[in-house]
Order: sequence, then C-alpha cells, then structure tokens
Amino acid sequence: MSDYGHDLIFGTFLTPNAKPAQHAVELAVASEQAGLDLVTFQDHPYQPAFHDTWTLLSYVASKTSQIRIAGNVLNLPLRQPAVLARSAASLDLLSGGRFEMGIGSGGFWDAIAGMGGRRLTPGQAVTALEEAITIMRQVWDTSERSGVRVEGKYYQVVGAKRGPAPAHAIEIWVGAYKPRMLALTGRLADGVLPSLPYLAGGPADMAEMNKHIDEAALAAGREPSAVRRMLNINGQFTSTGRSLLVGPPQQWTEELAVMTFEYGVSAFILAADDPFTIERFANEVVPATRELVAKERAAAGSRS
Amino acid sequence: MNYGHPIEFGTFITPANDDPEAVVELAMLSEQLGYDIVTFQDHPYQSRYLDTWTLLAWVAGKTEHIRIAANVHSLPLRPPAVLARAATSLDLLSGGRLELGLGAGAFWPAIEAMGGRRLTPAESVDALDEAIDIVRGIWDTSEQRPMRFDGEYYTLEGAQPGPTPRHDIPIWIGAYKPRMLRLIGRKADGWLPSLPYMQAGDLQRGNRIIDEAAVEAGRDPREIRRLINITGRFDIENGGFLVGPPEQWVEELLPLVVEDGVGTFILMADNDATMTTFAREVAPVLREAAEAALPGAFSQRPLRRATVRAKRREGLNYDAIPESLLETVIEPGDTGFAGVRSTYMRGGSPGIVFMVSTTEQVIDALAFARQHPHLPLSIRSGGHGISGRSTNDGGIVINLSRMNAIEVLDVASRRVRIQAGARWMDVAATLAPYGWALSSGDYGGVGVGGLATAGGIGWLVRQHGLTIDHMRAVEMVLADGSVVRASETENADLFWAVRGAGANFGIVTSFEFEVDEVGDVGFGQLVFAADDVAGFLERWGAAVEAAPRDLTSFLIMGPPRRGQPMVAQALAVVDSGNPETIIDRLQPIADVAPMYDQRVMILPYSALMQNAAIDGEYHGRGEPAARSGLIEHITPEFATAAEMLIRSGIVYFFQIRSVGGAVADVAPDATAYASRSANFSVIAFGTSHKRLDPIWDTLAHHFDGLYLNFETDLRPERIEDAFPGSTLDRLRDLKRRYDPDNVFRDNFNITPLAPAAVLAGAASDPAGSSR
Repeated sequence: MSDYGHDLIFGTFLTPNAKPAQHAVELAVASEQAGLDLVTFQDHPYQPAFHDTWTLLSYVASKTSQIRIAGNVLNLPLRQPAVLARSAASLDLLSGGRFEMGIGSGGFWDAIAGMGGRRLTPGQAVTALEEAITIMRQVWDTSERSGVRVEGKYYQVVGAKRGPAPAHAIEIWVGAYKPRMLALTGRLADGVLPSLPYLAGGPADMAEMNKHIDEAALAAGREPSAVRRMLNINGQFTSTGRSLLVGPPQQWTEELAVMTFEYGVSAFILAADDPFTIERFANEVVPATRELVAKERAAAGSRS
Repeated sequence: MNYGHPIEFGTFITPANDDPEAVVELAMLSEQLGYDIVTFQDHPYQSRYLDTWTLLAWVAGKTEHIRIAANVHSLPLRPPAVLARAATSLDLLSGGRLELGLGAGAFWPAIEAMGGRRLTPAESVDALDEAIDIVRGIWDTSEQRPMRFDGEYYTLEGAQPGPTPRHDIPIWIGAYKPRMLRLIGRKADGWLPSLPYMQAGDLQRGNRIIDEAAVEAGRDPREIRRLINITGRFDIENGGFLVGPPEQWVEELLPLVVEDGVGTFILMADNDATMTTFAREVAPVLREAAEAALPGAFSQRPLRRATVRAKRREGLNYDAIPESLLETVIEPGDTGFAGVRSTYMRGGSPGIVFMVSTTEQVIDALAFARQHPHLPLSIRSGGHGISGRSTNDGGIVINLSRMNAIEVLDVASRRVRIQAGARWMDVAATLAPYGWALSSGDYGGVGVGGLATAGGIGWLVRQHGLTIDHMRAVEMVLADGSVVRASETENADLFWAVRGAGANFGIVTSFEFEVDEVGDVGFGQLVFAADDVAGFLERWGAAVEAAPRDLTSFLIMGPPRRGQPMVAQALAVVDSGNPETIIDRLQPIADVAPMYDQRVMILPYSALMQNAAIDGEYHGRGEPAARSGLIEHITPEFATAAEMLIRSGIVYFFQIRSVGGAVADVAPDATAYASRSANFSVIAFGTSHKRLDPIWDTLAHHFDGLYLNFETDLRPERIEDAFPGSTLDRLRDLKRRYDPDNVFRDNFNITPLAPAAVLAGAASDPAGSSR
C-alpha cells in the first residue's frame, strides 16, 4: 500500500487535432463544464495534423476560467527552455494561476531532427531535461536578484533575467518510465506522468516506478509525497465488464480506487475525444471514485 | 510613389507583465475602436514582458475580428519550423487573423544570455533569409512531401508541411539597413520599421531599395506592403511632428501615404485616450484625405506574390474575377488550394476555385465560367462524387460547400430547406431532434447537391423511397444566370428534370424537402461465408424482396483472397426501434448462409450517418473506375454472372443495394429518374475502365437502367442506359430550352437534341417542343 495521501485530480487528455480547428477547444471547454480539474494535450511539433500545443494551451486557457491546463507532455527538444519558462509564467499570470508544466525529454529523434531540433541519445536527453528544469525554476524564482545561471552540457543560460514570477507555484510533471528519468523526477519534479497503455505490466508497474522515485527523493532530502503519482488512462464504457477500464462506470471507480491505494496514483487523466465519454467520466466515475477513496482513507486512517 | 494598398491602422501595445489584464483590455479596446490589427513587440529576454506568442494566442481567444501579429518576432529565440506551425495553428484557431512579423534579432548579449545563438548582423540577415524559406515551406501543403532544408544556419532533416493555414499569412520584416531591405524586396510581403528610429529620407531610400530588389527578383513592388510604427501625443498646440491636434497628425501623415506609399500605420500607445482619439479623429480623416489626393488608387485589386501568380493556368482571365468573389477565390498558388483541389476519389488541379456563399456569387461565378467556354466547369457540393467530376484540370470549380444552411420551414408539414453545400451527416444531425430523417445514401460526408439531383438510394429507401421523391421545390441558377424556383406548380418541367438529371440543367442552390418521421432504427452487420457466391446472392436477393418495406439491405463483397474463403458482408437497416421487429426482419437475412460474425445495434438514424470526418477535406488521387446497373431481380443467371465478375479479381469493391419498395410507388415518368421497377442497384469498382469494362459489359443485358452517381464510364451509350427512350427525349428537349449552349456538360452530359434527329411517331411534349 503506498497511498501518498494526495487529493485526487481528474482530467482529460485530448488529441490536439488541427482540423476542425476548434474541435479540441470545444472538448476542453466541455471538460471544464463537466467539472474536471485539468485539461491536457500531447506535444508533437513535427505532427502536421496537430495544432502547436503551446498555442493551443494558451488559446484554450483564454476560453476557460477554472480548469487547469498542461502539456502532456511538452516536447523539450523543440522548445527553448528559457523562453518556455517565461512563456509558462506568462500563461500562468494570464490565466490566473492555472498552468502546470508537463514536460518530457523527447522520444522521436528522427522527427525532432526533421524539424531542425538537436538529436540526442535518450541518456543525453535526460541530462538535458535536468538542465532545463533547473533553468525554469531559476526563471520563476524572483526572490533571487542574480540572473539565471545554468552552464550545462546541453543548455547554457548565463545572465538571463529572472521573472516574471508565475501566479502560483507551477508544478513540474515529468513523463517518465525508466530509472534515470524516475530518479530525476524524484530529485526535481512535482509529479510523474506516465501513460497506462505504455506500462507493460499494467498499473502494477507503478510499484517499481514509485520505488525509484521515492529513493531518489529521499536521497535529495525530499519527502516522497512531494511527488504526485499521475496516470494517463484509456478506457471504454461498456455494459458488461471485460478488462481493466473496459466496463461500466462502477467498475472504473473500483479499479481507479485500487490504483490510488496500491500505487498511490492521485491523478487520472482520461484520453478521450468525444464529449459523451468526458461527461460520463465526470458524472459517473469521478464523484464515485472520490467518495470511495475518501471512505477507505477514513477507514484506513491513512495520513492525509 | 504609392503602391495602392488600402490604408489600414493598428496598435502597438507594450506587453508588460505587471498588469496582464490591462494589456489584454487594450487589445480588446483596439478591436472595439475598429483598428485592423493589434501588435506586440517580442523580446523574450525581457523579464518585465509577457511572452509575446503566448499573449497573441490569448488575445486571439478574447477577440473576434481584429488581426494579430508580433512587431516583430525575435527569430534567434524562435526556431522557424516550430514557429511556422504555431503560426498556422493560431491562424486556424483565430479564423484567419494571424500575420507574421519577423526580425533578424537584436540585443545579442541578451539573446545569448537566454541560451540563444549569437550571430553577427550580417549572419542574422542570412539566417532570416533561410527562416523565411522554412516558414513558407511548412505552410505549403501543395505537395505532401517532407521538406528538407540544408542551410548554413538551419538544418531540417525532413519536416512535413501542414496543416494548411486559414489564409495566406503575410510575412512582414522589421528592418532598416540595405541587406535586410533587399531581402524584403526578394522574399517578404511587408516592411515594418518604426518611424522614431528613422531619419529624413530613410523611408524613400528604403522603398527604393526594396522596389529595386523586388523587380530584380521578378516581383512587382506592389506585392509588398509598407507598414510603419508611429508614436506621438495629442495636444492642443503644435509641439513638433505628431505632437499636436488630430488635424495636424493627418497633415503630417498624409505625405507618408501619398509620397512614400505607406499602407499601414501602427500606433505605439498604451493609453486608451490616445488610441481612441487616433481611431476616431485621425484614421477616417486620413483615409478620406488619401482618397482625395489619389482618387481610385486604393481600390485596385490586391496583388498576389509573384510565386503565387506563377502557378496560374493558361487561358483563365484572373483579372476578370468578379468583385463579389475576390475575397474567397482560391488560385493554384494559394495556401487553401490543397484543401479544395481534389475530391473523394479524384485528384484535381483546377485553374480557379470559387468558394461561394450566396446565390449572387453563384451567378457571378457562372458568368465568369461562361467567359471561358473552352475550359472544364465543375460544380461541387460535398466533393464525394464518384461519377460527379467536381474537380478538373486547369478549369473552373464552383464550390458550394459554404452554402450549407439547414432550415426547418414548417414543423407541421415537416418541410425543410437545405442548401446544396450541406452534408448529409449534418442534415441527419439537424433533423434528429425533431424525430425526423431523410434517407440519402450510406455515407455522411456526401453533399446534398450532388446526391439530390440524381436519386439518393439510402438506408431507408425501401420504406421511404429515393431522396428525390421527397423534393418539393428547388431554387436554381440556370445557364443564362437567371434564378428560378421549380416545383410541381412552377417550372414543372424543370422540376421533373432536376429529379434525376439535375446536373445538366443548372446549379441548384437550395432544396425544399418534405422529410419523414423516423425514430431509432435497427442496424445489423452480418458477415457470411459465401463460397457459393451465386447461390448466396440469389438467396439474399430473394430475402430482401420478400421482406417488408421497413427492411433495407446493402451487400458488399470483395475480390477473392488466396487461401481465404469468400466472404460477404450484409448491412441492413430496419426502420423500427422495436427489438422484436428488428430481429424478425433480420432473421431471414441471417438465414441466407452460415455467418462468421454478426452485430446488431439499435440507434438513432443520425448515428448511422456520423461516419465521415468532420472537416470534409478530401485528397483523392487519380480517377475511379465504377460501373452501375439497376436490375429487377437477382436471377440465377445474373447471380452466376456476378459470381464470375467477383471471382475474376478485377473488381475490388462490389456492392448491391436494395432499391424497390417505396421507390416503385412513383411512376417512371414522374421524374427524370425513371428506373422505378428495379429492386437492386449494383455497383462494381475496378482499377481502370480498360480492365473493368470488357467483363462488366458482358453483364449488360441483365440490367435495365443505371444509377448515374455510381457510373464513371463516359461512353455516350451510358446516357441511354441511364434514361429510357421517352425520358431521354424529353430531357434533350428541356436541355435545348434551358441550356442550349451546353454550359453544364460535365456530368453525364445530355447533349441538346440535334435538329435533324426527328423521330417519327414520337409523343408530343406537352410543354411544346419543336418536334
């Protein structure tokens, strides 16, 4: 059992299709109207069928007022970290503190180089991400008067001005699966954001992942609970249950609650591209899951 | 020197981050005051500013009409390929309001401190040169090929172009020095300097350098807009240039228009008083003064870039495009071309595409087409046509997809008016809340115009008849440009012709239908073992014919696959939401042969039609080869012949749709569609007519009639197959009356009756023909 005691958040993971132009925006608005906490989009700047995710996030933010917004996850190799940091602060200020930084080290290197990005090995990309996170935190931390100073192997940002301070403490969520990235997450990030379909062993894989994060966090003098465990999920609402997250809402509720208690998952972000699924998730799964988790936490007397 | 650019005005607001709301409000105020564009400087190293791209996207979401641009982007901190795609996104999201302002970069120490690459000024110009090519390459979706770029400053191993921007985004460059100015002349769409940074004579010198470089590059200097950032203060007293009352401003700015060809003034101001005074008391007066000084100079047509004009096709008088169509016309070099050139099954390369939204525009487009009788003319509603050649090579396309309104005229009589450009999925979705439906075809992406002028064999055809059988009136534009209404009581002969051969008689802009009450339906997908193909077809045909009318079924078979049994897929719709009825109707179909799989659903009719992509763009290639035949019964002889056809491997898609039922309730001479006794419509697709025709023609004697929309054979005999003798005679007669010059000749052309071909004993036409 490794419930970290985090409050639960629920969101959507929408495909940023560029045509029809407003479709993804409409689904984001639907997510907000359904009462969900968070709306997110993947980031593949080389994909000609998609909107540019930063543009879409900013536009969606202007069309909503409550829901949090994040990349899921932003593609660091094709985004300049210092500019990204200031962009994030700007969006956080404009949106009244609703932006969170979901970011990844990048994975499709041919496509990245296709767009003029720098080709890195996966190992190098982890180091680059670490440098970028350091840059971003420095840009946001205006309590220091000195400029940003990161003389990294992959990024050299020396003397850039800090600021503006974001409207709230922007959380950094990292798309991570393997030990080095998980360790980075434990050391530096506020959340880990993998996708369930990519966990070969299903949710159970999170046990091992959590261990890596927890160890790295402790080694860095941080509490494991400083890192939210999040999950992108896929599912289907059917009348009879067939498999994990393929079944009626009540089954989903039970399965998600298990993930919270067994693996500490406290954020469930549903991949969906139609308003009916979003509404059903928001109306029939989310409240029931909150209730079930609250009840079981009270019973277990878990620290909150 | 003036370049004829209609004068525009914009604002330049400091993107300060200490009060983000105030910045956004000034942008919204700019829109309210009627400014054409709102702009922001871009200094990503400036910690007191909001990030400009983020701000632009936010402002786009808070405004509706005003255009947005950076003034200008710092290229060194914005990699061009990503910037280009972001620009496309913002253009799409904003409805076509993004303009791209670029600068080579300045404040190099600050750029470097942010992790950017430091370049010398000369190098930065070359880098900008490369960036412009990259940006245009990402926007150019005319070829679906990855763009490689091997530059000195940028290397792209292969970036896919796309998506297609909403409009041709202009690239404006902020510049002062000769190398940059020459670059503008060669490649950009606008020059955007700030007047406060300029000395006397700089504007003239700059224009001259740009103009010379443009001409040297084969461009017209009028392709390049001259914008300028200005600043000043409104005051009672004259305190210097742009310090004084509004009248003084007008006097001082007028020479910039008349002598220096400035087309856009961008006011650098962060307070609403200045912005308001300028908008109300300077802008309109300056416009008027300029018009008075240079009468007619500003009503010239906008000039496309030379590279765009280079893609124009022979024989088209692009300078004669009617006024009403100028804003929406799409030429081969325009960014929108990739999205409209091709149809569902055909690649196309038209010379001009008119996007029409009103009947007036249809008339104007047709008039233009009539000035080009030697060029193909295609009329496009949904672009899904198999036989409908709603695109061509080098000719004219009148695209009605924007005329897509669906309007309920009267609830009691279930009367609906639908414009030709609507798609059937949208019709189904609009009618559903009323408990109504109109059977059309099996695919939601098909356009109303093309289907409703030929027939319409849909999921409810046996119960509710053809789509044309619900038509009660049309509004159409005839070959001579006149607009008529046709119905049983007005222009009845035309109304007769429209229902089955409409493409030959004019452009229908809207239809009035009497639709049906339809609730939920049962939808069955049954997959059969069909090695005894002939036996299967015969038994399926008999089961369908014997079924009550509330059953309609379509059958699909593909070519044999080595080592695999023959499989047939039967789709069936039951016009009932009652599970018992549905099972009762499907059972006889299911009994026809052993099944591999079956799926039965109860769902709204509209759900059946939600099977097309929402955006409706097609990128077909080549030409389809399809043959059609209408047949009364699936006889053993026909079934045997069909099995031979299917097993030949020449046909990659073979479908039989049930017709009959209510279709036969209408008399054969009541509409131009005459094949009322058929119970089945057969269609076969092959890879070419050369391969398909010889084998299909051996089946010809089984058929009595064909369905125009599924036939691509252009041999003249097909017309006679489609329309029996007296029907065809009447059609030719009407063609002589309504389209004697054969303007509408693209789609199963019914040529006007030749005067010499008088047939003895032919029945006289009640409308009074020459026979």
